Amino acid sequence: MKRILIVDDAATVRMYHRIILEGAGYQVLEAINGIEAMEKALQEPFDLYVVDINMPKQDGYGFLSDLRSRDLPQTPALMISTEAAAADRTRAYAAGANLYLVKPVKPDELLVHCRLLLGEVHP
Amino acid sequence: MPLIKQHISKSIEQDQRKRERDCTSLELQLSDPSSAARRWAARDLISCPEATGALVLQLQQEDDSSVREIILTTLTQLGDELAVASLVGYLRSEDVALRNEAIEAMKLLPDEVAPIMGKLLIDPDPDVRISAVNILESLRHRQVEEWLTKVIEEDPHVNVCATAVDLLGEVGTTSAQEALEKLKTRFPDEPYISFAADLALKRIRST
Repeated sequence: MKRILIVDDAATVRMYHRIILEGAGYQVLEAINGIEAMEKALQEPFDLYVVDINMPKQDGYGFLSDLRSRDLPQTPALMISTEAAAADRTRAYAAGANLYLVKPVKPDELLVHCRLLLGEVHP
Repeated sequence: MPLIKQHISKSIEQDQRKRERDCTSLELQLSDPSSAARRWAARDLISCPEATGALVLQLQQEDDSSVREIILTTLTQLGDELAVASLVGYLRSEDVALRNEAIEAMKLLPDEVAPIMGKLLIDPDPDVRISAVNILESLRHRQVEEWLTKVIEEDPHVNVCATAVDLLGEVGTTSAQEALEKLKTRFPDEPYISFAADLALKRIRST
C-alpha cells in the first residue's frame, strides 16, 4: 500500500484529504507543519507528500527546500495552497514541488494528481 | 574543547551585557553585526516605549529569524498604534515566514487588534482576509464568533470562508448554525465547503 504524508496545519483540511485518499486505498499519515513533516520523513519512507504552504513554525516552502537539500529519496510533492498567484507557483516549484494546486481541491482533482505523481496514471 | 567553547560563549555574553543599556544605545545596537547583540537589544527595548519605529525599521531588513522573532515579541508587548499598524503591514508581506510570525504575534493582542479586525476582514486582498481569520484562531475576544459568522455569510471568496468555517467548527455555538447551513448553498459546487460546514455543525450540535 502506498504511503502519503499530508502536511497541513488545518485539521479539517487534513481530515478531508485523508478521507479522499484512504478511500482510494492509500495509507495516510499527517503532520501539522514542516518541522513535524521532516521528523516523519526522516523516520520512514513515503511515496508522496501533499503539502500546504502557510503553516506556523515552518511553511511548505521551507519544508520542501529542506527535504530536497538532504540525501533522501526524491519523493514527489504535491503543493496545495490558497495562494493562486503565478509567483507562488514559481516559488513552490523552485522549492521542490512537482505539482501545484489551488485550494479548495475537489476529490477527483486531488486523486488524479496524486495518481499522476505516484506514476499510476500518465499524462 | 567544551571548556574553551563555554569560555568563549561566556565572554560574548558578558560583552553584550557590558554595553550600554539606555534606549538610544539599544536602538543603535539593533543594527550591530552580531545577531546576539541584536537579540539582546530587541529584547531589552521592551522598556523603551519610544522604540517602536526603530524596531519596525530593523524588522524590515532583519535576516536572522531568531532576531525577527524577538522584535515581533517586543512589538507585541509594546502594542502601541505604530506597532499594531506595522504588524498589519506584515500580513501583506510576500515573505510567508514573516507573515506567519506577524499572525502569531497579533493573536496575543486581543484588545489592540479588535478595533481593526472589522477592517481587516473586509480588506480587498483575500490573502489578508485569510490572515485575519487565522488571527482569530486563538484571539481571546468575545466577538470572535460574530466576526467569523459574518465572514461566512458575506465574504465572496471561497478560501476566506473555508478558513472561517474551519475555525467555527472549534469555537462556534448554536448561533452559527444558520449561517453554516446557508454557506453550503452559497458554494454548492465546492465539496470542501460542504464537508467543513457539516463537520462544524456536527461539532456544535454535539456540544
